[in-house]
This record gives sequence, structure tokens and C-alpha cells, in this order.
Amino acid sequence: MSAVIETRKLSKWYGNVLGLSDVTLEIGPGISGLLGPNGAGKSTFLKLLTGQIKPSLGSVTILGEKIKNNYAIFSKIGFCPEHDSFYEEITGWEFLTQLLSLHGFAASEVKIRAEKTLEVVELSRDKDRLVRAYSRGMRQRLKFAQAIAHDPEILVLDEPLAGLDPLGKRKVIRLIKEFKSQGKTIIVSSHVLPEIEALTKTIILIHQGKIFATGDIHYIRDLIESHPHLVSVKCAEPRRLASMLLTEDYIRSINFGPDSKTLVVETKNRDKFFSLLLSLIVESRIDIEEITSPDDNLQAVFDYLVGK
Amino acid sequence: MKSVTKQGRRHFLSSLVRVCSFAFFLSRKSKRTKFFLLFSFLPAAVALIIRFHQVFSEEKRALEGTYAFSNIIMLFYLQFIILVLALFFGTSVCSEEVEGKTLPYLITRPIPKSAVVIGKYAAYTAVPIGMVALGLFLSFAILNIDRLLSIPLYKICFQYLGVLTLGLISYSAFFTFLGSFLKRSIFVGLLFSFGWENVIQYFPGSTQRFAIVHYLKSFLPSSPSGRFSFLTFRLEPTRPEIALLALGLMTAVFLGLACLLFSLKEYNLED
Amino acid sequence: MTVREKGYTHWDGELKPARHPWWPIARLGIKLAFKKKYFKFIYFSAFIPAFAFLVGIYISERIEDFQWMVRGSTRILEMNPRFFNYYFSSDFLLFMMVMILLASGAGLISDDLKYNSLQLYLARPLRKKDYLAGKAAVLVFFIFSLTILPGLVFIVFKLLFAGNFSFLSSYPWLPLAVIGHSLLVTVFFCLYTLLLSSLSKNRRYVSILIFGVYVFSDILHGFFSENFKQPAFALVSLKANLQQMGAFFFKQKPVFPVAWHFSLFILVSLCLLAAVVLSRKVKGVEVVK
Repeated sequence: MSAVIETRKLSKWYGNVLGLSDVTLEIGPGISGLLGPNGAGKSTFLKLLTGQIKPSLGSVTILGEKIKNNYAIFSKIGFCPEHDSFYEEITGWEFLTQLLSLHGFAASEVKIRAEKTLEVVELSRDKDRLVRAYSRGMRQRLKFAQAIAHDPEILVLDEPLAGLDPLGKRKVIRLIKEFKSQGKTIIVSSHVLPEIEALTKTIILIHQGKIFATGDIHYIRDLIESHPHLVSVKCAEPRRLASMLLTEDYIRSINFGPDSKTLVVETKNRDKFFSLLLSLIVESRIDIEEITSPDDNLQAVFDYLVGK
Repeated sequence: MKSVTKQGRRHFLSSLVRVCSFAFFLSRKSKRTKFFLLFSFLPAAVALIIRFHQVFSEEKRALEGTYAFSNIIMLFYLQFIILVLALFFGTSVCSEEVEGKTLPYLITRPIPKSAVVIGKYAAYTAVPIGMVALGLFLSFAILNIDRLLSIPLYKICFQYLGVLTLGLISYSAFFTFLGSFLKRSIFVGLLFSFGWENVIQYFPGSTQRFAIVHYLKSFLPSSPSGRFSFLTFRLEPTRPEIALLALGLMTAVFLGLACLLFSLKEYNLED
Repeated sequence: MTVREKGYTHWDGELKPARHPWWPIARLGIKLAFKKKYFKFIYFSAFIPAFAFLVGIYISERIEDFQWMVRGSTRILEMNPRFFNYYFSSDFLLFMMVMILLASGAGLISDDLKYNSLQLYLARPLRKKDYLAGKAAVLVFFIFSLTILPGLVFIVFKLLFAGNFSFLSSYPWLPLAVIGHSLLVTVFFCLYTLLLSSLSKNRRYVSILIFGVYVFSDILHGFFSENFKQPAFALVSLKANLQQMGAFFFKQKPVFPVAWHFSLFILVSLCLLAAVVLSRKVKGVEVVK
């Protein structure tokens, strides 16, 4: 894989706060998912890649060129910012054509590109409405449109699925995949694992400004699967349920909650545990009131990975 | 080597033109521009009242057109309107992108950051110049409706317009610098406009040369008379060519500083 | 068997109306204003006249000790309603109040409009008038601290320095005049600021409006008065109207020879206009076509 984006010892401090630390990466064509909890340094990394902020240390190379003071490179980069911000007093069409004209295209070219892009993002019908009247999904697609309209080689998308409903997410995911099929390089950030899973197999795990792991999503999935899970089960007969669970080797520990109705189970294999629980509910008629998983989130996975 | 520099310069200029037309388009669409257009027409409304008074008043000493016109220029335009317009549009060059979080759209395009600042500055100076020119000509026409064929009057009108244009150019440059530097640029800008400028210009000797308005008043075709003569109180005019040089220098320095800050500063788009 | 999601639980409590639902909004507004360094600077600078007048009260009571300083011009140090009118109608105090309104009040509603927070406020057990009262309370706090507070402190200190109540027996109505004038100034400035703040989502624009309208009205007054020699043009100036009302409350000769009723009428009309616009502008949902 030839690297399209390369970073060498990339670091960024905001005063005493560490934004990103010693990131050396090579990113090739296709979709790469940048995954990390809020405040992990995803946006800092993407801003460094797109030259919006300068690194405290290290360097960024895009298509073999340095990003620093190289504004011409932006004709090859499309950036979709995380903020839901627009020039609100203009229409979607005006927004897109005006930003396209900043690339130096001729007026006729601007028109052709804008029409084509709006069609791709399914906004042709609403192009003459004011941006401030757009729904969240439409705004997100318009943001995506301004990033792809000049046909860049590299697309950098900061949380493009944030705040979208399932239908909206599906539309944006389809658009990103279509762009990928043209052989382009795409970096997508998110803190939601299933969102990234729906887009790509190649992921970069980032946490506390450091890159934890890069590579195939299955590796991360395995980590998550093998990570001991806590499951809280509230039922009428917690002791009976505990005695039935204790026999299984994938149950690492069982604790009783203070209300004497809750059972907190630590398991090495979540899937097996849930299938056993289901069979117990049906066969042994265990009356369950509530099942929750206190650590079923990305932060818990990261905590596990860093050995907390 | 020379051709590379030439090409770079050409690219910079074309980027500047693109940003300028982009900013001009945005300001044309903005409701605030429409408000400020009306605002800059207020002196024309005042001129209309004066004109009605001239027509219907039985008083012998009804106001003479040129006298009223110069008072309007001094009191409304020079001391107030151009300051407010330059303050709003000048600080908008950088602040509106940061406050509206639209900055990434501009700085991730193939255009130099200095072209963004200068291009927006050019558009945001041209718009208020247009507004002031329209208001000024309207006031002039209303007050001198019976002498519209008098050519010397037009000379005075254009002289005043030149002064106001220079004012907008230099004040906007200063406020562009403030906007690129400070988060609360309006507050400091108001203190500068209605504090510093209002006080320093009346200081004797060279001190008054630390106010932009001193150089503008040095170009005035005539001093205001009557009660408003205080507006040129203690004015020790600088020679026009020196005043022009000083204003040009100030504009270049403030714009240069604004470009430098905009290129170096990392704006925080969080609230 | 009921399996419930963790994120959803019933609340079985009883919803009681809060006694002062506006208070959290006011507290937050005051706190946010004091977080700005430049606001602290302008706010504390606005107390300079109050301190100067307080020193004047002390000197007026010890006039024989300060003869070398005042050199016979003791008239300005005489403690009487004129002294209070000087304080309340001084150009500097009014200018500083406008700067405080600009720094603390420009974003009160416009920021909520910008970030669509109005629907968050009004989705709570909070009525529109509670919301507006909370926002107004921020401005009331700042304006009161520069009007009613120093006004009453002047009276108290005068009595303390004098050691008797002769001042109060000479002007028994003075505390009421201080309260009345402070109330008028505060209500007017509150509604003026909130009105302009509700007109735009852009705080910079609102700041310019707050300052611009105040100054422009005064320039208009100066221009028309000079050219038409008609004192009635004082009515176009916000500052002149407030000064006219100050003269009325402190029983002084008006600054401009115009009846105070007209100034009161103009100020009240502007307040009513502001109230109407505010009630229309402040709404939970905005429909954009």
C-alpha cells in the first residue's frame, strides 16, 4: 500500500494540555476510520492533517508534499468540518457555488460541478432553499457536498454522521462508499464503533492524544470480545440465577448489588453469556426485571486497552 | 525563478479577487448590510427635513445648502457613520468566520490566508464606501436641488467623498487588525473610536497626529462654522501629501499585521 | 417479565412550580458578565463618579478643613437635590451605563437566538415572562448598583457625617426621588437593551446598535437644536430625555426648556414598544421557510 498521507512524530499541545502525542502513521487509499472517545484528539489530528493548525512537533505529508504553507494542496483535499455551521443567509446552491468558485473554476464549470454534486447528495430539489431552513440531515449532506464538489483526491470527514437519524446516516454512509469506489482516500472520524464498522475495516484507534492501534477492525472486535464485560441483571431470585451461572467457565465473577435484587456478572464471553441467560429465562423461568451493561461503551474498551 | 514569482503573484491576485467577490456576495445577501444601507441614508433623511424647513420656513435665516451639507458631513459621517460602518465591517473580516465557525470552509481552499484577509477587507470596505457615497450624493442633491448645475459644488462634494473614503479605508484596516487579534474587538473598537479618537484629535501640537481623524480633517475643503466649529478646534492640519502617506502607511501596517496574525493564530472555534 | 432499558425511568414526583424561576437565568447572566476581564474594568470604572461624590459629601461636612482646597467655590459641594441630579444626569455615568449594557446585555437574548437555546429554556417549567425577567434581572443588578445603591449610600453617609437628620428633614422626598429616578432609568435601559438584543443573532451587531442608537440620537439632537434653535429637539435624544426626567425627580430646572411630560411620554412609549417586540420575538420555535 502506497501512503497517501504520512505523519511523522506529530504532536500538538494547547498550552499545558496535550492534544496529540507522537503520531507516526501512514494512511493509504480507501476509507480509514479514526475511532476514539470524545476528547481523544480526533479533531486535532484532522485539523493538523488539513493544515488548520500547526503541529508543535513533527510533520504531515500529503501526496508527498508538505502541508505547511502549501495552500495549493487544498485543491486535492476536501474537508467536512464537525461544526454544524454555514453561511446561513444564502441558499444551498449559493453556498456550494460560492465555495466552488474559491477553487478558481470558471463560472460554467462551477455550475456543472454544483449541479452534479447536489444530485449526488440528493439536494437538487432543495437547492434554492435557505441553508438555515435545511434539516440536520440536509445540512450534513450539504457539508459533504462542499467537500467533494471539487473532486479531491483526499476526503477528511470530521464526525460526518453525528446527530443524524438512521436514514440520514445510511445516506451519508452510501455517499462515502461511492466516493471510495472512485479510488480516493477518505478519513472518517467517529466515537461510535458501529458507525465506523459500517464504513470500513481499516481503523485507527486514538485515545488521550495517542494512537493505540491501527489495522483491521476484526482485531479491535476481538479485543472488545475478549474484554471482560460487566452485565447487571435485576431479578426476583438473584441467588438462584447466580448458582446456575457459576458453573460456566466464561463467568469470571458474580457480585450482588446493595438492593439484594441485582446481580453484577463479569464475563469473558458476552455472546455466550447472553445465550445462556436467554435459555435460563425460558427454561428455568427466571423472572428478569432489567438487564444493563454498565461498561458497554467505547470508553470502557479504551479503559480496558490501557489497562485501567 | 522570476517566472515562479510572477506566477505566484498572479495566483495571489486571482485568489484575492475570488475571495473579494465571495465576501461581496455574502455581504449583499446579509440582512445586516441592508440595515446599514438604511443607516447610512439617515443623513439624507435629515437633509430632507432641513430642505422642507428651508422651503416652508418663514424665517429669513433659513439654512444655506452648502453650510448644512458640510455640517452633515462633519457631524454624521466623519464623526459617527464611517466609524460605525468601519467598525462593524472591519471586525467582521475575521471575527464573523470565527464566531460563525465557518473559518474551515475558507482556510481549506487553495488560497493563501493573506488573500482571505485582504480579499474580505477589500469587499468589506467597498460595501460601506458604496453606502456612504449613495447617502452623501442623496444628501447633497436634496440640499442643493436648486443649484445642481453649479460645477464647483460638485468639487466640494467629491472632496468630502474622498475624505470619507480615505477614512473608511484606514479605519477598516485598523478594525480588521483588531478583529484578527481580539475576541471582543467591538468593545475595544468603540473605546478607540469614541474615546481615543474623540479626545486625542483636540490635543495641541503633535499629539493630535496619533489620531486617524486628524489626517482626515487635514483634507477638509473648509472648516465648519457656527456651533460646530469646535470639530476643528486646535486642528493643526498636516500637509495633504503627508496626510495621505500617513493614512496609506497606517492602512498597510494594520493590514499586514492582520494578515500575519490570521496566518499564525489558531482560532478557537469552540464557544 | 419486563425488560427495561437503563436510560428510561419513570419519575413519580410531583411537579411544583419554582418560586423564583427567573433567578437561575439572572445568576448565570451576572456570573458570565464577571467572567469577562474587560467587563470588570468597565464596571468598576463606572464607580469612579460615585466615589468622587462620596468624597465630596465628606468634604462638604468638613468644609473648614478643606478651605485651602475648595478656595471659596463651596457651592458645588452643597449637599442638596442639585448634587444628586449632577450625579444621576452626568454624561460620564450615562455613557458608562451604556458601555455596561453593551458588555453585559448585548448577548443576553441574541446568544440564545444564535444557539437555538430559547426552545431549551421554554421547554422547562418556565414562562416567557420568567425568561425575560431573568434576563432583565441581570441588567437591573448592574444598573441598580450604579443608581439606587450610590444614591441611597450618599444619603446615609450625609447623615452619618453630619451626625443629625437635618438634611433629611429639609428634603424628606429625596430618597423617594432617588428610587423613582433609578427605577425609571433601570426599566428604560433594561427594555432598550433587551429589545436590541432580541433583534439579531449577532452579538457584535447588537453591541453596535446599543451604542449607536444612544449616540446617534444625541448627535441628531445637537444637529437639529443648532440648526433650528428649537429646544423641543431635545426629545429625540435618549440622553436628554433621561436628563430631563432627572431634573424633574430632583426638582431642578430642566436642562432643556421642554416640559418633562414629553420626555416621560417618549421613554414610556419606547418601553412599551420594546415590551411588544420582545413578547413577539421570544418564542420557543422558529419556522423558517
